[in-house]
Amino acid sequence: MTERNGSGPHESAIDPSVWRGMTQSRLSRRQLLTSAGTGAGMLGVSALLAACGVKGASSGGGPTPGGVGTTAWWAKQKSTKHVNFGNWPYYIDVLSGKHLSLEHFTAQTGISVTYTEPIGNNMPFYAKIRTSLSAKQSTGYDIIVMTNNSPALGYLIQFGWLTPLDHGAMPNFDKNAGPLIKNPSWDPGNKYTMAWQSGWTAIGYNSSVIKNPGTSVGVLFDKKYAGKVGMMSDPQELGSLGLLAIGVDPATSTESDWAKAATKLNQQKSDGIVRAYYDQSYIGHLKNGDTVVTQAWSGDIFQADLNSKYSDLKLLIPNEGGMFWTDNMCIPMYAQNPRDAMTLMDYFYQPSVEAVVEYYNDYVCPVPAAKQVLLHPTGWAAQALTKMKPEIGLPTTVTANAPTVFPTPAYVKNSRSYYQYKSQEELTTWNNLFVPITQGA
Amino acid sequence: MEQPVRADHTGRVGSRRPRARLGKVLAPYLLSLPAGLWLVALFLIPLVIMLSLSLHTCNFGTGACVMTWHWAEFGQQLSLYHGPFLNSIYYAGAAALIDLVISYPIAYWIAFYGGSKKNFFLLMLLVPFFVSFVIRTVVWNFILSDNGVILGSLKHAHLLPQGFRVLSTGYAVVAGLAYNYLPFTALPLYVAIERIDKTVLDAAYDLYATRREAFTRVILPLTVPGLFAAFLLTFIPALGDYVNQQVLGGTSNTMIGSVIQTAFANLDYAGGSALSAMLLAIALIGIFAYARVLGSRTIEEYL
Repeated sequence: MTERNGSGPHESAIDPSVWRGMTQSRLSRRQLLTSAGTGAGMLGVSALLAACGVKGASSGGGPTPGGVGTTAWWAKQKSTKHVNFGNWPYYIDVLSGKHLSLEHFTAQTGISVTYTEPIGNNMPFYAKIRTSLSAKQSTGYDIIVMTNNSPALGYLIQFGWLTPLDHGAMPNFDKNAGPLIKNPSWDPGNKYTMAWQSGWTAIGYNSSVIKNPGTSVGVLFDKKYAGKVGMMSDPQELGSLGLLAIGVDPATSTESDWAKAATKLNQQKSDGIVRAYYDQSYIGHLKNGDTVVTQAWSGDIFQADLNSKYSDLKLLIPNEGGMFWTDNMCIPMYAQNPRDAMTLMDYFYQPSVEAVVEYYNDYVCPVPAAKQVLLHPTGWAAQALTKMKPEIGLPTTVTANAPTVFPTPAYVKNSRSYYQYKSQEELTTWNNLFVPITQGA
Repeated sequence: MEQPVRADHTGRVGSRRPRARLGKVLAPYLLSLPAGLWLVALFLIPLVIMLSLSLHTCNFGTGACVMTWHWAEFGQQLSLYHGPFLNSIYYAGAAALIDLVISYPIAYWIAFYGGSKKNFFLLMLLVPFFVSFVIRTVVWNFILSDNGVILGSLKHAHLLPQGFRVLSTGYAVVAGLAYNYLPFTALPLYVAIERIDKTVLDAAYDLYATRREAFTRVILPLTVPGLFAAFLLTFIPALGDYVNQQVLGGTSNTMIGSVIQTAFANLDYAGGSALSAMLLAIALIGIFAYARVLGSRTIEEYL
C-alpha cells in the first residue's frame, strides 16, 4: 500500500475543484509528504512502492534483546510523562492546527505528546528507521503506524524490531476493539500492534456513465469501457485484483494462481482496456472523467461523494471481495517512552476519543462503539464534535451511518486479506509478475 | 609559454630557486584540488558504489548487501525492461529533435535581431521554467484532460470523436519532454548562433549569395557543433526522465527512469544499480560518438 489519498477534511464552501483539477488530487492525509518529495526530488510523483506484506518469522518474531516486552520488563517501565508519536499526514483530528484528542489526553494524564507526521510511504520510512534499529538505537519515535500489507511491517516483526505490547495495559482495546482488527492474521493475538485505521481497495465508478456496474470486478475488464479504465500501479493492489478476477482469494493464493492472474491482467492491458496504471492520482482522473471506472480506496470515494460536484462517483465492493487493509500502531524497539506509548495507544480505544478522530478521518473505525457516540454525543466528545462541526460542515450522523466507516455485515463479509509472503523469493516472484505489467513498453 | 628566467611570483632567483620550482610544479595540481576532490567525492565514489552494488545481492529487509559478482542481474533486468529502454531512447530522441526545430528560429531571431534587448528575450524564454518542473507537467494533465478545456470543447463541437484522447499516449510523453527540456536546447543554440561573426554574412552577400544560400552554406554549417551539443544536452537528461511518462503516459509508454525509480523505491538496490549502469552506458556512447565526430573541445564550449 502506498499513499491512500484519503482527501483532507470535507469540502469547504468554496468549491476548490479548479485547484484540485490542476493539482490532480487534494493535499490529503497521505499525500503531504509525497508532494513535498515531488518538489524536492520528484520522487513522490509516482511512489510506485511495491507494497507487499512479508510474513514475520513463523515463531511470531525474532528474539527480543534484554527481555524487552516480557511482563517483568514491562513492570520496570515507568512513565516519563512524554511520548513521541509519528503518524501519516492528515490522519488525526485537526482543528485550527490542534488535535483535540491529543489535548484531552494530556489534560487527563499529564503526559505530553509530540505528534509528527513523518510517514509518507511505508518502505522509505522503514529504510530510514532501520538504520537506527540495526545500530540498536532509538528511532526517536515511541509509536509509529505501519500498513499491514507492506513488507515493512513484516520485516519489523521478523527482525525483532518491535516491542511486544504490554497486554496488561490495554483494557480499552480488550473491551472496544472491533472484530475486523482484533487478533488479525498479520499479527496473531495483537502481540505487536493495535489498529489505527483501516479501509478497502475496491472499485470506484462514475454512475452517470455506468448505470449498471453489476456486482463483479468484471466491470474493470469490460471492453465497453476500453481506454477509460484505471488500474493501480502498486503491484500488491494490482495483483490482488487480478486474483479476485480469476476467482481466487488472494490470502490463500498460490504461485500458479499469480501467473494466471498476471495473464488476465496482461490480456486486459493488451486489449486496450486499461488507460493507465495510476498511483494516488487515480482519483483526479476519475473526477475529471478521464476514467469512468477504476480501482479505488474507499475513503477517497466517500469523500468525493459528499461533494455535490462528484456525487456521481460511487464505490462498489464486488462480490469477489474488496481488499481490506489496516494501518497499525506499534512501538519500535529501543523506544524511550514505551510506558506512555502504551497509555496513548490504549487511550484511542475509548469510543468517545475514536468518535472525534473518525469525524475527521472517515476511514474504517477500529472501535464500533464510537458510532453511538457520533449519534448521541455526550460530555467531552460532545464539546469537541461541536467545535469541529463548522470546519467539517457535516452532521456527525453522516459519519456514523457511513458503511465505509462503520461497516455493515455485508461489507465485513466481502472483505479479503492480502497475501502474506513467506519468503523474499515469493516477494520477488510476485513483483516480477506484476511490476512489468505496469512498466510495460 | 615558459619564461626561462622568471622562477616564481616574486621574481626572485637564486638560492630559493629549487623550492620555487617545486611550488610551480605543484601549482596546477593544487589549483585543481578542490574540483578534483569534488569530482572524486561526489561523482567517482558514488559511481563506483553504484557499479559495485549492481553486482551485489541485497536483502530487501535488512538492507544488507553481499558482493556476489552477480553479472546475471544485467541480463535479467534487460530481458524484463528492454522495452522501456527503447521507449526512452525513442521518446528522448524525438523530443530533442522537436526542440531543435522549435529552438533554432527562436535562438536565431534573438541572436540576430534581439539588439540591446537580447538578455530580456532570453529571460522571457526562461520565465516559464521558474515554475517547478512537476507542477508544469501536472498542469498539462489538467489542460489536456479528456473532457477538459481543450478536448472537451472540441468534442462538444463535434470536431473530435468522443473517444479521442491525448493523455496516456506516447505523443503526450514526447510533447511533455519537448516542452520541459526546451531551454536545454535553446540556450546552447543561442550561444552557437550568437558567436558567429556577423560580417561573414556581409561577405557572403558580397560574393552574390542569396539570403537562402547565406543561411544554408554559411550560418548553418557554422552552427553544426552547436546543434549537436544542443541535441545531446537535451537528449541525455530526457533519457533518464520519469516524471513526464508517469504523469502523461499510458500503459505502454514506460521510460527507463521510471523503472529505476520503482526499483529503488522497492529497495531493490542491485536491480536499480544495474539499470542505472546500463543507462549511463547509453549516455556515454552518445557523448563519445559526439566527441569522435566533432572533437571533444566543442561540447565544452556550450555547457
